[in-house]
Amino acid sequence: MNKNLVSFLVFVVGLAVFHNAIFPIFTPKPIGWILNRYVYYLVFVAFLIITHFVLRLKPSIAMKALFVWFLGYYFYDAILFPPIPWTLFITYMVMWSIGVFLYISQDTDSFREFREPIVKTIVGEYKLAQIVVMIAMPILVGFATYKSIYPAYQEPVELRTVHPAPPATTKVHGITYPLESTNNPFRIDEQDKYKDSFPFLDADKQEYMKYVTEGGTIFFQNCHYCHGDQLNGIGMFSHVFNPTPANFIDPGTIAMLQESFLFWRVAKGGPGLPNESTPWSSSMPPWEEHLKTDEIWKVVLFEFWYTGHHPRTFGTEGSIAGSEGGE
Amino acid sequence: MNFRLLKPKHMEMTMTMNNNYIKRLIFSFLAVALIAVPSTVFAAVPDGVKKDLLEKGKKVYFKRCVWCHGIEGGGDGPSADRLFTRPRNFIQGTFKIRTTDSGELPMEADLITTVRNGLQGSAMPAWGEFLAEDEILAVVEFVKTLVQDRDFDDTEDEEVFVQDFGTNPWGTKGPYHLGVPQADIDAGKEIFTKNKCFECHGGEGRGDGNPTMKDDWGFPIVAADWQQCWNFRGARRDPFNPFHIVRTISTGMNGTPMPNFKDQIIVEDRWKIAAFVNSLCPRKKIDLLTNKPIPDFLIQSVYTEGKVSPKIDDPSWQSPDTDDRIDAPTDDAILENPKRHYIAMAGQITRGKRNFDPKTDNLWVTTRWSEEEQAVYYLVEYHLRFLSDDPEYPDSVAIQWPAKLQELYGAEKPYFILGDAKKPVDLWKANFMPKDYSATAAPKPEGYQLDVSVEELVGYGFDALSAKESEGKVEIVDSIYKQGRVKILFKRSLATEGEFDVQIPTEQFIPVAFMQWAGRDKEKDEVMAISTWYYTILKPALPDSLYYMPPIMAAVFVCFQGWVIWMTKRTRKMYDEGKVRRDELPK
Repeated sequence: MNKNLVSFLVFVVGLAVFHNAIFPIFTPKPIGWILNRYVYYLVFVAFLIITHFVLRLKPSIAMKALFVWFLGYYFYDAILFPPIPWTLFITYMVMWSIGVFLYISQDTDSFREFREPIVKTIVGEYKLAQIVVMIAMPILVGFATYKSIYPAYQEPVELRTVHPAPPATTKVHGITYPLESTNNPFRIDEQDKYKDSFPFLDADKQEYMKYVTEGGTIFFQNCHYCHGDQLNGIGMFSHVFNPTPANFIDPGTIAMLQESFLFWRVAKGGPGLPNESTPWSSSMPPWEEHLKTDEIWKVVLFEFWYTGHHPRTFGTEGSIAGSEGGE
Repeated sequence: MNFRLLKPKHMEMTMTMNNNYIKRLIFSFLAVALIAVPSTVFAAVPDGVKKDLLEKGKKVYFKRCVWCHGIEGGGDGPSADRLFTRPRNFIQGTFKIRTTDSGELPMEADLITTVRNGLQGSAMPAWGEFLAEDEILAVVEFVKTLVQDRDFDDTEDEEVFVQDFGTNPWGTKGPYHLGVPQADIDAGKEIFTKNKCFECHGGEGRGDGNPTMKDDWGFPIVAADWQQCWNFRGARRDPFNPFHIVRTISTGMNGTPMPNFKDQIIVEDRWKIAAFVNSLCPRKKIDLLTNKPIPDFLIQSVYTEGKVSPKIDDPSWQSPDTDDRIDAPTDDAILENPKRHYIAMAGQITRGKRNFDPKTDNLWVTTRWSEEEQAVYYLVEYHLRFLSDDPEYPDSVAIQWPAKLQELYGAEKPYFILGDAKKPVDLWKANFMPKDYSATAAPKPEGYQLDVSVEELVGYGFDALSAKESEGKVEIVDSIYKQGRVKILFKRSLATEGEFDVQIPTEQFIPVAFMQWAGRDKEKDEVMAISTWYYTILKPALPDSLYYMPPIMAAVFVCFQGWVIWMTKRTRKMYDEGKVRRDELPK
């Protein structure tokens, strides 16, 4: 029997069995160290390698390339979690395809081997394949022409800078703050000491928790509509706005920013952004219109306490170990 | 209007006897009797409080939940007063999403499900992917201890009847659950009429039946809008599944006027009602993170031969709400009609006086343009349960454009909330009052005609809005309010004289945004619902080349294929004859 065909069957049948029967076993509700989707993927790849080794299958390089390419597709499409947006998916797949192509074209022999089935199809040594391809391709070309002429419009893509360069100073309620040297006046202690404290209950015992409680109160009266009850940028109204509200849980937002940067962004909001950050569509209010300076600082304090992130500092006194993350 | 059922008779009996033995006897008897009848419920006691988890649960509660639900669980946390629907008050032990009978305590699994999945359409998020599993289990135990008026440990008085919901009789599959036979949907509609569901939910299910409803605590409450099923509580990531409706009909929603119908409607018929309710909800792709339909960010205006019909009822304006990629319309006549575009709306909570409880979740926009008339038509539709009858606060809806479109550079736009000092906006605002309308009277099936007036405004910011000096060119050519839905058809010529009128080009992306004011809620000025900037484009007519270019290209490609075959064969021959060596460029 044709070893290429056996190899192909091993791949297709293996994938069907693995995806439908074994994948669910590896994705239980509480994810474990062994029972998770990535281990499943490794097991599947190991299965392919071992079966090919045991059955002494040596598929042609074109077939191998197809397998490897599809394994990448499968990974980005079904394994990787949470799912990635399609633009990112396409970017990854382009890179993956280039990688596969580099692999097959690394030397002339393997590249010739890869080309061989294609050449055989063209010259008609694979007669059936030649007929199918020669008929299908012009039809596809005609169809593609139709699709490209048909007036179809995609929403224009707009890029924006998420973390614009901050100004040197910002003036809030009549006082000018130099951003580099301004610290949160309510950060009177190291926040990790209050990991297990209770807002409200400990507010009259611990001064720090008093500020966290006040900050949280302001957050849940004003900010959660967009930034969410979980501070993950998914509030009741977040889906309406474009750009979508920031996710503070993400290590790429407040975790890599100084508190004074947050203070500036909160105080000045969308209209205070430079043009490259599309100030016209940001729904972030200039909070100086709604909140007092102290209230802004308390909200910032709360956001770090709730997410467990530490604000970025620049090696000044009182900087907290492990706070330089994010880069 | 409180429909909560009294406790079953046998419970009162056992309570008076207060005899555990007799109670158990009756209990087992009842269980046997219940197994014998179809569509069975089974009796149980609520899951008691697991004391060892309380310490951990308290920690989670006071970090994550206290902000809305309050220190004592009274639903009075800092956020409460600015939320509509308000956070749940746990003290009375009333929980919405249950498998138990109306008025009863929930099972532990019900509470876990609610915490894990959140309650869509409210501020309650899904905690399942945020908290660890053991934290969820623990916080549920702690929440049980916040219930003061009832007792989860009281096995004497708190037996519960877990409902049987049957199974999906059609075996429909998610995400869209299409393919329910029309006969069952029609049967469901009859049961809906017979049980007077329309008294609260309205004739077409938009929740426009009763403006005076209150919840158990006296706060105003509205009936669910069945045509926006993504806002159904307890239907996360699965809004089109009829199961959720069967559950709600069977168990009622504790704390709200929604009663249960388990005795009035047999379970098979509840599935039919669910099929009907679900058939009303337009199928749109749902964003898994936000649980809302993905907005159509590009509003495509369809080129129309001749004149555009100025009548909303005209077939040329009929387009299905359901996305045609999910379920293509069967009617050929509307196949080429413009799409209904979904526009997500939120309260204006950014500038000036803020609107934390908007009454409109979304708008639908359909648009056509005519070369012959040199005019563009925008049909704006939205659901609104009740209209205003106060002339000082009319209902309004507006389309916002950049007033100086041609002066914008690149992606630049005016500030999305009524413009800014440098870049003004052009606002087409329709104010309207329904004729012969009373919110409390039974709605007219043929709908209400509207008294519409158009305002054309220029905005240099939310606090710098003024009427245009130039003559108004925007017309409302047709409008209606029917079964909880407003429809307004705007018309304007592409080019006008006014200094602040947007000049509408064809085949170009034009920023556009929408605003809506609910008069009944006293919304006015910047207190409104708002969308972000969308784009609209006036699409050209289909080009003739569409019909001759594809065959030409295919023929060209056939020639190319012939050439490739010839070349490949020639190269082979050259290899074979030794004229050229493989993998070397010919010298």
